[in-house]
Amino acid sequence: MRKFILALTTLLFSMSIFAHGPTPQKVQESITVNVAPARAWLTIKDFSDFKKIMKTRSFDDEIMKIKYEMLKTDGPFSDYNAYIIVKKGANDNESVIQWTARFYRTYKLNPPIPEGQDDATAVAAVKKIVKPGLARLKKALESK
Amino acid sequence: MINQNKKFILIILTTIFLSLIYLYSNYYKVNPKAYITNQGDDNVSVVDLVSLKVIQTIKVGIAPLGITILNKKNLAFIGNVGTDDISVIDTRTDQIIKTIKLNTAPLSLTSSPDESKVYITDWFKNNVLVISVEEMKVIDSFKVGKTPSGIAFNKEYNYLIVTNRDSNSIEIYNKNKKLIKKLATGKHPFGVYTKGKYAYTANVYDDTVSVISLEDWSTKVIKVGAHPYNILTHQNLGLVTNTVDDSLSVIDLKIDKEIKQIKTGETPENLDIHQKLNLLVVTNWGSDSISVYSLKNLTLIKEIKTGAQSRSFGDFILH
Repeated sequence: MRKFILALTTLLFSMSIFAHGPTPQKVQESITVNVAPARAWLTIKDFSDFKKIMKTRSFDDEIMKIKYEMLKTDGPFSDYNAYIIVKKGANDNESVIQWTARFYRTYKLNPPIPEGQDDATAVAAVKKIVKPGLARLKKALESK
Repeated sequence: MINQNKKFILIILTTIFLSLIYLYSNYYKVNPKAYITNQGDDNVSVVDLVSLKVIQTIKVGIAPLGITILNKKNLAFIGNVGTDDISVIDTRTDQIIKTIKLNTAPLSLTSSPDESKVYITDWFKNNVLVISVEEMKVIDSFKVGKTPSGIAFNKEYNYLIVTNRDSNSIEIYNKNKKLIKKLATGKHPFGVYTKGKYAYTANVYDDTVSVISLEDWSTKVIKVGAHPYNILTHQNLGLVTNTVDDSLSVIDLKIDKEIKQIKTGETPENLDIHQKLNLLVVTNWGSDSISVYSLKNLTLIKEIKTGAQSRSFGDFILH
């Protein structure tokens, strides 16, 4: 019973969070790959997956950062902008790739917010892009 | 000889007296501070602008965004869009002294020049709410155009100025809440700033800034970096945060042109200045920090970690 009340409280609490206005949402994930940062960066720069749906905003070779905007989104989110940065890992042959996305939910008007157009749905959808995206990237990098 | 002794004693007494006054006044004086709303952490970082360190973190409502500082009254008003309320902070003690319930999401805040009122844009119901600072409650509200975003008060004309993000316009109200002008801006105007005879809007979708003359209602458009969010002016310069370029556009207002861009942290959103300390402070939503620049030559002095999704939409520096 206590567990149930706790779960219910958590649920109500999180619902109140998602009820607020069009606040930019953030998803940030990292993955460690067994490849030197310079090499990882070169591959990421022309990672073909991006080029199909993304408009590259900027490259920064010095800090190994790529910024891009998603031009068309079929997912339950909008105004998607993100950047990927390559950092040094624990040793010379290891890098940490960090992916950060900023976006909004699709529904931007008065509550009630229609189901599937809220902040939680948007965050979940972007996580589904970022996490497997990083895993694919790791695989591509380490198999080269 | 006696006279000289008297003189000496008098000097000593005066010195002691003056030091006491100095000590006393300093006891109640606080350093200039920046109040940073961390929307992802539900708190406010207080940054001492002399030592450039976070000296306190204040828990507020959920998802704080907008802010306005009342310098004469030593108060900071924080808008929490997650709990639909305002946290009022006493800037002498950095404690919350009042929470004002609104039942709607406060997007941005500004105050009247005499600091008797705080104005809030109500994004969902298209209103401006008026708070009496003395009574610490909402005493009035009036309808404005759709999706009111930024808000600013022009001292010269006594105008309250509001941007309407989704209808690409700016509205100018007089002190009797009467709409006296509605003008087109660039696409998606978010932040608004006003000084002297002008109002300025940052237009997110078309990467421009609109400059509106409050004298003859003429408008002009200046190209800046990608997805500008907010703007302020200092002397003949306009400074604009470009959220997608991670930069500040520097505009020469004499020729209405961007003259350079300066690097910021990730996704810079808002900015404020402290003239005496010669500082410019920018909040970085993406890197959870603020960047502090010299206002004179716009060089970076320090980047300071604050909290998750630092925003501070409004004037956020205590002078």
